[in-house]
Amino acid sequence: MPTPAHSRPLADDRLIGLLRNDPASIRALYTAHFGTVRRFVLANSGTGDDARDVFQEAITVLWLRARDGTLSTGTDPGALLFSIARNKWLDTVRSAAHRHMNVVHDQRMHAAAVEPDDGVEDRLARLRSIYERLDDKCRTVLDRFYFQRKDLSTIAHELGVEEESIRTIKYRCMMKLRAHRNAIGGEDHEQA
Amino acid sequence: MSNGALDRTTFEAIEAYVLDRMSAAERAGFEQRLASDPALRAELDLEREHILAVELGGLQRTLQAIGEVELRNGGGPAWGGLLKYAAGIALLIGAALWWMLRPPANERLFAEHFAVDPGLPVAMSVTDDPVFADAMVSFKEGHYAEARSRWTSLLKERPGSDTLQYYVAAALMAEGDLPGAIPLLEPLAASPASPFLHKARWYLFLAYLRTGETDKAAALPVEEDPLRGDQARAIKQQLKAR
Repeated sequence: MPTPAHSRPLADDRLIGLLRNDPASIRALYTAHFGTVRRFVLANSGTGDDARDVFQEAITVLWLRARDGTLSTGTDPGALLFSIARNKWLDTVRSAAHRHMNVVHDQRMHAAAVEPDDGVEDRLARLRSIYERLDDKCRTVLDRFYFQRKDLSTIAHELGVEEESIRTIKYRCMMKLRAHRNAIGGEDHEQA
Repeated sequence: MSNGALDRTTFEAIEAYVLDRMSAAERAGFEQRLASDPALRAELDLEREHILAVELGGLQRTLQAIGEVELRNGGGPAWGGLLKYAAGIALLIGAALWWMLRPPANERLFAEHFAVDPGLPVAMSVTDDPVFADAMVSFKEGHYAEARSRWTSLLKERPGSDTLQYYVAAALMAEGDLPGAIPLLEPLAASPASPFLHKARWYLFLAYLRTGETDKAAALPVEEDPLRGDQARAIKQQLKAR
């Protein structure tokens, strides 16, 4: 299993499945808990699309927290998904309602806002920006290998090419990401 | 991390380590190399991040696909599927009835009635307990793990504080860790002198409900709560009606 960072064992099978990117577990979480979030969003001035967006973001946050090992052992995924989605939707409602208000920022509140625990959303944004650098060909191969956990021969068979070609494409795609990071690092260094 | 090329052998060794595809001996050898090679550790961190980014892309694609199916089906099964699985419907109905009347019903009740504790007012400029107040600000901003961590540290210094005990439990509830919150709420809910008596009973009631401990929920005297008594009575009536 990739990124074996989780230090606390998880009790819920669906969370264990989510950690493994198991589609059946992801679907089970979705179908079991989306309705509750949808009802909440619809009852609070939102649409079905709003509900889908906050719920999918909540599953993504749950996945990253599970990966980082920051979930409590006894975490109830349904309650946590509802809590995350609810907060996200309330933030959206509040920001829309108070868009034109002047907000007085307290220094302590600002300090609290940059604590390490706040890092999940920034981390997701950073990871998404990495993924966006990949072209379709790279995404096709890397997704099957790293996300779907298929072996090289299966991917080669599916795409009608030699196994060695898939291995080379995978290496080159990952090196493109690495080169981009080095370029960013170089720019940062020059600016400093 | 080197700005030069990373050879394929090293790349694939890191990959095998991240994906847990090494034998125990290979892993031990690789970890020895890591311990003495900071550049290799930097490459490991970078590759782990890139793999995570790819997996996140896959997760989002999967979620979008599931969302589209849900939308098409309107949250229920497709007609074709109904016909195809007609032979199993009778069995499924029995299972679905049982399922709807047990944990999901409790889940619905919990979702309808649970709201995160609003927290205490914090006068930012005038407080004699800045750590507690900072944690309260975090709590109100929805950073429950951070608030819980700070309050838990304070609770170790002041184990008799019912305020800290209550707010650690409130943060756990907000995080969805109901089994973690229950042992903290139980003593408060049994302490008539505590100012948190009614709130602790209410949240304990909801936690029992959500975790399927319906008998314990029914036994709590939440009807005595001057604020939520009616709400509690209505829930108990629904539980009795099952």
